[in-house]
Order: sequence, then C-alpha cells, then structure tokens
Amino acid sequence: MLQYVLRRLLVAVPMLLGAMSIVFFAMRILPGDPCVSMMGDQATREALADCTRNLGLQRPLAVQYADYLWRSARLDFGNSLRQGYPVSEYIARMFPHTLILVLSSAVVAALVGIPIGIVSALKRRSPLIDYPLRIIALLGLSMPVFWLGILLLIVFSLRLDLFPLIGGGDLEGALHMLRTGEAFVNPGDFLAAVGDVLHHLTLPALALGFTLAATISRLSRSAMLEVISQDYIRTARAKGQLERAVIYKHAFRNMMVPLLTIVGLFVAVALTGTVLTETVFTRPGLGKMLVDAIGARDYPLAQGAITVFTMTIIFVNLVVDMLYAVVDPRITYR
Amino acid sequence: MAISRRAAPLDLGVALPGEEGRRSLGGHLRRWLPIAIGLVMAAAMILLAAAAPLIAPLSPSAQYADAVLKGPGAVERHLLGTDEFGRDVLSRIIWGARVSLQVGLASVIWGFLLGVPLGILAGTRGGIVETAIMRCADMLMAFPTLLLALIIVTALGGTLVNEIMAIGIALTPNFVRLARSLALTIREQDYIMAARALGSRQLRVMARHVFPNALYALVVVATLYIATAIRTEASLSFLGLGIPPPTPSWGNILSEGRQYIKCCPWITTFSGLAIMLAVLAFNLVGDALRDLLDPRLRGE
Repeated sequence: MLQYVLRRLLVAVPMLLGAMSIVFFAMRILPGDPCVSMMGDQATREALADCTRNLGLQRPLAVQYADYLWRSARLDFGNSLRQGYPVSEYIARMFPHTLILVLSSAVVAALVGIPIGIVSALKRRSPLIDYPLRIIALLGLSMPVFWLGILLLIVFSLRLDLFPLIGGGDLEGALHMLRTGEAFVNPGDFLAAVGDVLHHLTLPALALGFTLAATISRLSRSAMLEVISQDYIRTARAKGQLERAVIYKHAFRNMMVPLLTIVGLFVAVALTGTVLTETVFTRPGLGKMLVDAIGARDYPLAQGAITVFTMTIIFVNLVVDMLYAVVDPRITYR
Repeated sequence: MAISRRAAPLDLGVALPGEEGRRSLGGHLRRWLPIAIGLVMAAAMILLAAAAPLIAPLSPSAQYADAVLKGPGAVERHLLGTDEFGRDVLSRIIWGARVSLQVGLASVIWGFLLGVPLGILAGTRGGIVETAIMRCADMLMAFPTLLLALIIVTALGGTLVNEIMAIGIALTPNFVRLARSLALTIREQDYIMAARALGSRQLRVMARHVFPNALYALVVVATLYIATAIRTEASLSFLGLGIPPPTPSWGNILSEGRQYIKCCPWITTFSGLAIMLAVLAFNLVGDALRDLLDPRLRGE
C-alpha cells in the first residue's frame, strides 16, 4: 500500500510541474508587453520600466520560471496588477465561493443523476422509462450550462422574482462569524447569512448540477448494467433474496466503485463549469476571477487562478487514486 | 491520471456478422432511429452553414433602426426578432452556424492529425517513446478541455484559426490515449506478426496495418468530440474570448443578448437552442455509432 501511494505521488509531482510549465510559458508567449497592454500606449517610458521591474520581466526567462515555480510551491503568486494586493489573498477569498458551488452542484448531480441511472438500467429498454430518461440525459448533456443558467434566470429571477439575479451572498460574513465564534452568540444573524448564501446559491447549483447530472446518470446506468450481469448478482437471486435486497445490498455498493473513479474527472468538469456558471450568474469565485483577469490582462491573477485550478484537479485525482486503492484492494497488487 | 482510464480500457469490438438478420422491426428502429435523427440534424446544420448566404433572409450585419429589440414576429421580416442594433436574430444564427461548424469540424480534424500518429507510435513502439508521449498527454489531460483552450486562445488571441488550433490541441491528448489503447490491442494480432515476419518496417506496419484497423473506432469517437468542440467554441465565445464581434457566432450572440434578458429573452433563447441542437446532433450520431460498435451494449 505504501509503495503504491509513493508511486502515485511520484507520478503526480512531474505532472504538476509539467502543467505549471505549460501555464507559465503560455502566459509568456502572450503577444505584446503586459505592461503596455495594461497601462496603455500613453504610458511614459519610466512608468513602463517601473512596471517591468515590478513584475520582474527584465530577468532571464529561466530565472523567472524558477522563481514562479518556487513561489507557486509556497502559494505566492505575486500581486494583482489591477487590485494591487496579493493574488493568494484574492484566491483565498474566492475559493470558498467556488468550493460551495462545486459541492452543492455535486449533491444535485448525485441526487438527480444516480437514481435516474439506476432506474434506467433496471428498466432497460422499457419505452416508458428507460428511453425517456435517456433522452433527458442526452438533452442535459448537450445543453450548455450557461444557456440553462440564463433560462433559469429568465424564469425564476426575472419573471417569478424568486431568486437574486447576481451575487454570491454574504459568504464572507458567515465564515467570519464561524471563525470568531459569533455564530454561536448570535445564531439568528448567522442563520440569516447562511440563508442569504443558499438563496444566491440555488440557481447556480441547479444549473451546474443538472448538466453534470446528465453525465452521472449515463455513467451510473452503464455501471449498473455492468454490475447486474455479474455472477454474484445471479447467486444472490438464486439464493431467493428479494429483488430490492439484491439491488440495494449487492448491486448498488459495487456500482459505486466505478463511479468513485470518475470523481476526479467530475471535479475537472465541475471546475470548468464554474468558470461558465459564475460568469452567467455574476457570482464571485475563482472561475469568474479567471475570466475577469484575462479580460483585464491581469497576468499574475490569471496565472494564479489557472495554477490553483490545475493543482486542485491533480490533487483530487491523487486522492481518488488513493481512495480507489482503499475501496478495491486488488489495485495495490498490480 | 485517474485509475479509471486504465482500469476501464475502451472496449471497441467489431460487429458480428449474421446478427442483423435476427432483428425485429423494433430492434432495427431502436438501432437506427437515433443515428437517423442525428444524421438528419447534423446534415441540416452543415447545409445551413454552407448555404448561409442563400438561406439567411437578411444580412447578419444589416442594422434596422426601425426594429431595435423587437420580439419574434413583431416585425414581419424578423422571424426570430432583432437584437440591440436592430440586426435580424435568425440571419445571425444561420451565419453563426458557419463559425460553430467550422471550428467543430476543423479542430477535431486537427486534434486527430496531431494525436492519432502519436498514439499509434506510442502503442506500437512501446518503451521510452511510449512513456514520453504518454506523460506529455497526461500533463495536457490535467487541464479540462475548456481551460486548456482558454489558455491557448488567451495566448494567441481570439481568431477563427487560433480558436481551431486551441480546441484542436486541447482535444489532442484524448486522441493520443485512444489511438494508443487501440494500437496496444491491434499489435498483438496475428496479422501484425505476419506483416513483421514478411519484413515490413515499423512505419509500414503502423500506417498500413495498425491505422486502418483503428480507424473505425477513432472516427466514431471523433464524432463525439465534434460535439465537445462545438460546445467549447460556444463557451469561449460566450466568455468573450472567441471570435470577436461583429462576426456572428452562437456564443457571442448569446453573450451579447445576456444584457437584454429582461426585455428581450429571445436573443439568448434561440442562440442557446442552436448550440444545444448542434451538440445534440453530433452526440446522437456518435453515441449511436459507439453503441453499434461496443459488443457489451449490443442486444442481449
């Protein structure tokens, strides 16, 4: 087991290094001088020289690269060109917003997708159940999350006025109250803040969750189909077990193993989804921050955001690989 | 690098002869209806894009000052309404099909041309060549398609060619992986051994034996990636990083219409619908073709 863990870690480190190199060099081959594009053509020569020095762009590329890697390892991404304060601070403020969006959409996706997939597999080829469900899944898969988001906004925010049009709610306030212990002194205020956050979260989580549910339902359908054709299911049925027990006790648990392996993939897709979802709902978060940073040509901020995205994806994949070994002991013996 | 990719290798078999004859009418319908619908939809999209100048009722850039932000049918000549400059939404969507399909098809071809030779080389040669190619593919796989395309488009600038390049490169690692896994199975076949025994060189084995045998499965999966490419293009345009306005693309029509969802939801609704239908068409075709190929999912 230890050997397996070490081997996984050894694979993850060069991957992270490679991915970060891609980010670094992609940002460096950007056409034009970042200082010029940031300050405009009218900037004085002194101001430009100042900016170049501040960003360390006058140093050799190799030095800049080594510096970037060393700083990133300490989660130091320099200062934002526009806002002026450290990128890591900005990321730390945005991360919780993106995290709750990913988690809540994962809950929506699992609650909608897994049951649909199971029912669809058990009622395979039934024209009234399997086919309509598969068509819905295919539509969900083809529907861009930003379009679904806009449709939800049109109906539930603009027409019915049930949910806010923009913003992420007072997440910072709620977290601050938790940290300082104020949440326990004034539970009313805390609950109000949490309610506000949930109110802002509902539509984005539904939009992202539904599009992800389509993938989940297709995967759980094929996982379930694979499992129910196994010998142990036939054995369970031959023993005279109730169909319900066969499905819930034998099939469901084994179906979760292949599903677990796609969590890594899921996180990658969900994080991409947050870029679009946060933009549609004008929600604060890493994805919106990245798009805004690119639009404003704020390179340190964009670089920091992409690095954090990549780190998260590689880290989650690593954790999933480990979890997989725990769930399925055969893995470590290969 | 998730284990799933190795634990579940793509299982693409070849259809068994003789099975066709035993199928009922319902069975045939079930098999061919999705492909037929998908093919008709995809063909319609391609026709729409190719013949946009003939089909579009009005010019996509003509501005009608008397019909700014008019709803569908409010002015007779604008079937799907107009946008904030008084441009005809239907004509813009028809012209937008050009961008979406061009990017969708060209970027998949580009990714195919880059990825398949590398994947076949990795699978057939093995050893350090395989390790080097696969580690590079893994590195690119760490980025989701949209994120990688976004980085490249940001670096190169949003033009049609750059967008095609960016999405193509973002799709490449997928083709590398698939081509390698197919080559791994194919290289164990007797006919490869026979070709080698007859003195064929490595390059000839790869080009004449491995590639043609992998082609069918590769093309099927490529169809599914057209759907991914179209969605990625729309997403980039939506984020304002794709082809810059005023060139109509479905993503930027939708993005521009976003400011007017309160008064004029038709702009976003119809352009989004176009994206969904295009993605759906290629998903349908790709899915159905894959089901036909995959023996595990074919009739019991």
